[in-house]
Amino acid sequence: MPTRRDFIKIGSTSVAGLVAAQSLPSPPKAGGAGAPRYPVVPVAALKAIGPGATLAFAYPDAESPAVLLRLREPAANGVGPGRDIVAYSTLCTHKGCPVSFKPERKMLICPCHWSTFDPAKAGALIIGQASTQLPQIQLRVTDGVVEAVGVSGLIYGRHTNVA
Amino acid sequence: MTPESRLDRVPLPPPDAQRFETVCQFCIVGCGYKVFKWPVGRDGGPEPARNALGADYTKPLPPLGDWISTAMHSVVTERDGRQYNVVITPDKACVVNEGLASVRGGGQAPTLFSPDRPTRARLSTPLIAGGGRHVPVAWDAAVDLGARVIKAVIDRWGPDAVGMKFFDHGGGGGGFEANWAVGRFFFTGVGTKTASIHNRPAYNSEVHAAGDAGLAALTNAYADAELADTILLVGTNAYETQTNYFLVHMVPNLNGSTLARKREVLGGEPVEAGRMIIVDPRRTMTVATAEAAASPARVLHLQIEPGADIALLNAIGRIILDRRWHDVGFIRDHTEWQTFEAYQRSTLAVDRDLTDVVGEAAKMAGVPIAQIYKAAEWIAAPKADGSRRRTLLHYEKGLIWGLKNYENVAAIVDLALLTGNVGKPGTGCSRMGGHQEAYVRPPYPGGRPALNVDEAVRRGEVKCYWVGGCNPILTTLNAEAMEAAFKERGGAVQAVLERTEGRPVGERVARLVEALKQGGMFIIGQDIYMTATARFAHLVLPAAQWGETNLTSINGERRLRLYQRFMDPPGEAIADWEIMARFARRLRALYLEDNNPLMANRFLDFDWRTEEDVFIHARYQFKGDGTDPIEGYAGVTYEMLRRLGTNGIQTPTRIVNKVPVGTVRMHEHGRFSTPSGRARFIPAPRPWPGYAAKVGAQRAQFPFWVNNGRTNHIWQTLYHHQHVPFYNDHNPMPHLEIHPADAATLGVAAGDLVELTNDVGRVRAMAIVTDSVKRGHTFMLFGQPRGAAGALVSDHVDPTTTIPYYKGAWAAIRRIGPQPGVSKTVSFLPQNVAR
Repeated sequence: MPTRRDFIKIGSTSVAGLVAAQSLPSPPKAGGAGAPRYPVVPVAALKAIGPGATLAFAYPDAESPAVLLRLREPAANGVGPGRDIVAYSTLCTHKGCPVSFKPERKMLICPCHWSTFDPAKAGALIIGQASTQLPQIQLRVTDGVVEAVGVSGLIYGRHTNVA
Repeated sequence: MTPESRLDRVPLPPPDAQRFETVCQFCIVGCGYKVFKWPVGRDGGPEPARNALGADYTKPLPPLGDWISTAMHSVVTERDGRQYNVVITPDKACVVNEGLASVRGGGQAPTLFSPDRPTRARLSTPLIAGGGRHVPVAWDAAVDLGARVIKAVIDRWGPDAVGMKFFDHGGGGGGFEANWAVGRFFFTGVGTKTASIHNRPAYNSEVHAAGDAGLAALTNAYADAELADTILLVGTNAYETQTNYFLVHMVPNLNGSTLARKREVLGGEPVEAGRMIIVDPRRTMTVATAEAAASPARVLHLQIEPGADIALLNAIGRIILDRRWHDVGFIRDHTEWQTFEAYQRSTLAVDRDLTDVVGEAAKMAGVPIAQIYKAAEWIAAPKADGSRRRTLLHYEKGLIWGLKNYENVAAIVDLALLTGNVGKPGTGCSRMGGHQEAYVRPPYPGGRPALNVDEAVRRGEVKCYWVGGCNPILTTLNAEAMEAAFKERGGAVQAVLERTEGRPVGERVARLVEALKQGGMFIIGQDIYMTATARFAHLVLPAAQWGETNLTSINGERRLRLYQRFMDPPGEAIADWEIMARFARRLRALYLEDNNPLMANRFLDFDWRTEEDVFIHARYQFKGDGTDPIEGYAGVTYEMLRRLGTNGIQTPTRIVNKVPVGTVRMHEHGRFSTPSGRARFIPAPRPWPGYAAKVGAQRAQFPFWVNNGRTNHIWQTLYHHQHVPFYNDHNPMPHLEIHPADAATLGVAAGDLVELTNDVGRVRAMAIVTDSVKRGHTFMLFGQPRGAAGALVSDHVDPTTTIPYYKGAWAAIRRIGPQPGVSKTVSFLPQNVAR
């Protein structure tokens, strides 16, 4: 079991690693001409993500705060052996305020106008005033490392997720 | 196709995009929106100079920015085949919403007609029922057949055999233009009393008691919610269903952001952050967010039992009277004194002991006695310097569709008069409203209580029934009986239409009349989609919707705006007013051919060419002298509204030096709409009316109360939202909120399919297990197309007003089984959590 100290460490290394990852050539994502090309960014080692883990990172670039969660149940589009690891943009799609994960509520809550999102259901709006789901960061596991590879849904404040 | 809400880019409008101003098509709040339209392939760029918003998209926008979400964009195809991008974003310059969108308003673009999206389901051509299905028919032929049937019915059975059930509202599917045309057709033209309004079986006010007291239905300005010491919400779930009134005007008061404004407007009286009292059987998101905005200590939630509103509100009134917190000056100067005496005697039961009255109310309402005293204190206890507390009283369907409509509404209106809370900053007594308003019609020829049209349909007295922009098969009370009547009476007509296909119209009409004599009913359906009701129609008439025609409406603070047309309607669909005009002109011609000038002249003056022609024609109902109803827009033109944009002007207008001047707040000069100019208390004939026999028997027989209403995500019957995945996926079927302990007893888990049954009917729903409801209480969406609470509601109505007790259904519940498919996409996390 990883300790809390490990998460902090992962958090800091992943942000540092992120910058490096962006400069690396990434394989083009399937999706045809004109489809946005998302970078492949390693987020954390699978074995370091314990049940209930919450890990801040950024994707697809440093200006896009995101959170990786290991829930205590299988989740829509979850990765890992338990299909319970998911990641979301943390900018509320209503007005761009930062959402935060409340483990005891199992939901992401926006403090501005109280939109709430379900991380186990692909970021579905539980209730609130956003008119889209919370953008879900698409994940995959490569050689024991959870990588961010794309985004489903437009991130607040942008007209395209990647230029 | 990827749903809009899952796309990862959105085109930006170029600087030369066409711009339009409009107002949200959905709820009463009427938020301002901007529309941008430009040809596909000519997008703007991220630099501020390269997009119409002037926004810098070269880097992410800051929070609360002018962001276009993917739900604010769609591609539409005009009648000439050209494709355009359309972006619909909330308007920062609008004082109603200050740039904020609700979940509904922020997703209007996907509701636009588009041939390659689910909204392709829109009706685009007139249809006639023949050969067992609906087939397209030319407008002229549809109008000719329909007009001939109506004429035959009037000539043989009289005008009251022509029944109508129509919208009377503003916003999407309504507006002053449509309402005037409908009213002129049925009241001036046909002359029928067999009329009913979209959500109820008769042609009546939902707030007769307020009208009798001399109070407008919408008295206050939204700014009053920023100034009030206390806001009382009875039977209204504002966060979810009047969202931006709550978020933009109430929340800042609760969290103290309006203190400076209070000091500025209210002079020297003591001010503090606002308090809120919420009377609701459910712990809704409104309660949760009010507590998050204020502190829980400044929010009082009275979680009442059904049918207890009258007892609760009158007990509060009695405490106020006994504490001498009532507004003696207001009562003396602005009310009819005799009515106050009667009110004290009969409603407040002054000859009984206060503790008995309050104790009884607490027991009936299922709330602690102390909460009732606290509510009275928050509503009326004088402030530190002795000045009167300013309380804004709001109510909606929880009260209006409660135990007894007339006495329910009277209870809150009386409380407002007792405390003088009307006509002053920070006060008011208004319904919250559901849809927007835009009522302007010639007088209804019927009396009061109004004729129950549902009953007339079932009895076979309605030979031609025209249903416009509403869906009674789904939403009326005792809905299964209504469907049976449509099936049986409509079936006979359907058979004649099939047998006479291709025959001359005169022969067809003669054969139809024979069917009508045998109990048949010719049904005309006018709508934008093929609704459950339109499916039964013999003529289906495709109407234009919001954005496809210019229209005008007012919101909950009577703010009149022009909702500009920005795209073509689908196919041959036309505006509602134009449909009515075509039928009127045809009827006039038929009566002239028949040498009946008397009837022909009833259909005169339907020669409008534009929406504004209708708007101006209707305007002559208003005098502009201070006596007009709340909708009065004397002197207003489209040109003026174009100039005023999304802020518009608050009705009623008065003409001052030939210029229309708006009204921020009603009754500001202490004058009320009664012959004496003084308000009237409405004394209750008894302290509590009790349950009607039918309702009481149902309540005794079935264990669960089935409350029902609207919710955050969904507009009315989902007529649009069932075609937009983001909304439909949230409520893919009717849902039933049930308490965890009750769910455990029934063996029901979240997501399970359950069936509700009672003596009236049955309906199935998906279980949502939540402590939002008390034990023994449940809650359903009122109008989900796959099943509505109306199927369980008895045909009892308030005999004084013909308003149903829609909230008064009791049923048994049994588990059917799990629904794994639904459970994958629907979230079952609680919908009343804000922290």
